[in-house]
Order: sequence, then structure tokens, then C-alpha cells
Amino acid sequence: MNKDIIAFWGYPEKELINKTKIEYPNAKWVDLDIDFGAVDLKILPENYCVIIKNIYNNAMNLKDRIIKILAPIGKDKCDSAYFASEILKKSGFKVIQSVFEDVCPDIEKINIPISKSSLPLKEKIELITKNIVEQKDYSYLKSVKPQFGFWGVPPNDLSILELFPRETEVFGWCRAVEAGYPGDFQLESYVDADIPTVFFVQAFCSKSQLAKYLANKYEGLFIDVDGCSNASVRAKIEAFIKLR
Amino acid sequence: MEIYVDAGTTWTKILKVENEEKKYEVIPTSTLKKLDIKPNRATGHSIIKTDNYENEVVALANGARKYLEDDFIVLDLGSRDIKWVKYQNKKFQDMDWNSSCASATGATVEMLLKFYNVNLDDLVFTKEKYAITCGIFGLEKIMDDVSGGMEPKIAISKFIHGIAYNAFAFTKNPEKLCISGGFCENKCFIKCLEQYCKVVPLGRFVLVDGLKSIV
Repeated sequence: MNKDIIAFWGYPEKELINKTKIEYPNAKWVDLDIDFGAVDLKILPENYCVIIKNIYNNAMNLKDRIIKILAPIGKDKCDSAYFASEILKKSGFKVIQSVFEDVCPDIEKINIPISKSSLPLKEKIELITKNIVEQKDYSYLKSVKPQFGFWGVPPNDLSILELFPRETEVFGWCRAVEAGYPGDFQLESYVDADIPTVFFVQAFCSKSQLAKYLANKYEGLFIDVDGCSNASVRAKIEAFIKLR
Repeated sequence: MEIYVDAGTTWTKILKVENEEKKYEVIPTSTLKKLDIKPNRATGHSIIKTDNYENEVVALANGARKYLEDDFIVLDLGSRDIKWVKYQNKKFQDMDWNSSCASATGATVEMLLKFYNVNLDDLVFTKEKYAITCGIFGLEKIMDDVSGGMEPKIAISKFIHGIAYNAFAFTKNPEKLCISGGFCENKCFIKCLEQYCKVVPLGRFVLVDGLKSIV
């Protein structure tokens, strides 16, 4: 089978993305973080971050088609991704490690039209991740006065985002990605103290520390979900939105 | 007539209002489907989510607000799950809802009472408690102790003390805790919880009262 896929996770350095685009102009880009329904090959322990499980399952499922994997391993992703990159190398993949830890010079002056737009939250998050590779200009999107905040990474189960109103502003890693600084701690930690915010993490993710700390500090709602959300998690978000 | 329904896993609480007169009922949830009830508003794990469905925590918050003006935490401990909401200065402040790690605590107590043929009123406060995380883990410890010679009513009481302690910890160690749900009628549970904080039992109908108060 012809190899036709450039696989990646997180937010590889822009230069690396652009260089790879020129090198492989016809390649299909696949974000290995996303749950495409690949069979769980049980490579990782049961109690492990589902996003890292996605990376392994997607990579193995697409092994015959993957040209190379662009693999963020710095503060812009996590230690688990570093181990994944090394193990995938040993499993026969061509892996290019990336560290994207640029510091944002002024978090008040970032360009984040998607995060502030009136698009449904699920579309906002999908567009932000899609734009890692596409790099389109969305400055034409109109901003909306936020009523709620969503802080975190793109959930494995995107359906929980449908519970939020359009007037939900994006914070956390997703906001940092749109701004082009995925490894900037100050930017990732920033939230608007006046907006009731849901702090979301995947279970077993080290970002839980920060999410819990921020949820306590800003009296937000801390939510951690392993895999798919259950009725309890959805009800908690619904109640938080209704009661705040 | 207005009808408000809180359909829990084991028991369904109903509030009927006619000519401003309120009538409360508790029926087994297993019989609910046989009745042709069309509630004005409903909540609970065992009700089909239709347009008149309301979130359980929202119903709890609205029902408890009637009793307490401000600065309160109210905990609803049911057959299947446990949930609480905190208000401060008349504003929502915090909440949590656990259907997994607190699973089946209420239902387990009912099953244990039947299994060991113990009356609810026979349960006594014990200083000792099981460090339980859910009904299933609790069962194992009770069975071990009973087979070792402990009276079933003592073992069940230790289990209930464990539930009470978990309720206190789950609500972040409050000074005062309002209780909603069937555990209000469990004197052993209330006594156990009083070892940790001031307890205000609100009864079983907080959620249906909350449903009625939602405009």
C-alpha cells in the first residue's frame, strides 16, 4: 500500500508543519489525538489517558499508510507523548520529534477569533484543531459577549461540547493553540474571572493539577472524563450552566 | 391538578397540587410505568427525558432554597447516586454529582436490611466505620464481619457510618449539611453524620418541591 498520510498529534512546530507540507504536497494529514473509532489494541494500561491510547491505536491502524509522525514532546504536549514518540519509533514508525515552547510576549494581544466567536463550542474546538495544519485566517468571525467559559483540551468525547451555549469562550490549551503558543503556561492558565467556567481534563492527564487548581481559584466546575462522558458528567455541566 | 415527579432508581416521589393543597406520595419506581401519570415537570434517573424534564441538581437547588435563605450545602443521597449543591450569599457556588464511586449506597442498605432480616429502627450508632467507597466494596466487608460472628445490625451500622463519613468528605467537610432523600428517615445515618457536622434533614420531597418552584 502507498504511504499517503502525515500523522501528528498536539501542535507540531509551525516550521516543521510548513516544511512537511512542501515536502509532501499531496499527503493527507491525520490528527492521531482524535478518536476515529479504531480498535483498542490494549497497548497501554487500562487506566491511562485516552488521548494517548488514541495515538497508539490510530497509528497502528494506519501503519501501512503513515509516511511519518510529527510528534510534539515538549511542554506543549506532555511526558506521555514523549514516551509514545520513542516507543512508536521502536515500533517502526518514522517519528520527528517537535518542541514548541515559544512564550507569548503579551497574552492580552493574542489573535483568537475562533475562541471568542459565536460559533457553537464544538465547532470552535474542531476548527482550532483543524487550523493547526490549515492555518487559515478566521479574523472575519464576529466575537460574542461570553456567558460561559470552557477551559481545557479538545475532549475525546466532543459531544459534551454541545451542552454549552454559543456564548462560550475558549480558554486553556485550545486557546493557546489558536494563539500559536501551545506551550505557554501563562496563556494556558489564563481565564476571565468574571465568566463561570468549566475546567475540563481527560482522566489520567497531568493537566488535572492545573484544572483543579484553577477551578478552585475561580469557583468553576472541574470535570474529568475518561473516554466517553456518562450521564452524571453531562448532568453536572447542565446544572452548572443553569445554576450559574 | 398539577403533578411533579422525582423518579429515583428505587422510589418515586410525587407531589400533587390541587386548589393549592399539596399531597405527597412515595411509590416504588417499578410501579410508575403502570400509572398513567403526565407530570407537569419531572426529574430523576428513572424518568424519560422529555420537554418537561428538569436536571436533578437544578431541582435539588430550587427545592432546598425554599428552606434555607443562603450559605447552605444540600446533599441528596439516593439509591443510586449522590449529589450536592452549595449556595453562598444567595448565589450558586459549587456542586458535585457522583454516580460511580458512591454507587448503589442507598440501594445496598435496603438490600442488606432485607438480606439479614434487620429492621431500620434496629440499627444503632457505632463509633467504628467501614472505609467504603461504594456499595459493592461495603458488602464484602459486611459479609466478612458477619461470618466472623458480628451481629448483622452492627455490621450494617458500620456500613452506614462509612456512608455518612463519605457524604461529609464528598461535600468538602462542611460545618452544616442539609440532607435530602430517604436517608433523612435513617436515624443511624443522621446520628453518624452528626459526629462530623451539624445536620439538617429536609425530607424526601425536596426535589419535587423544587420542580414546583421552577417558573
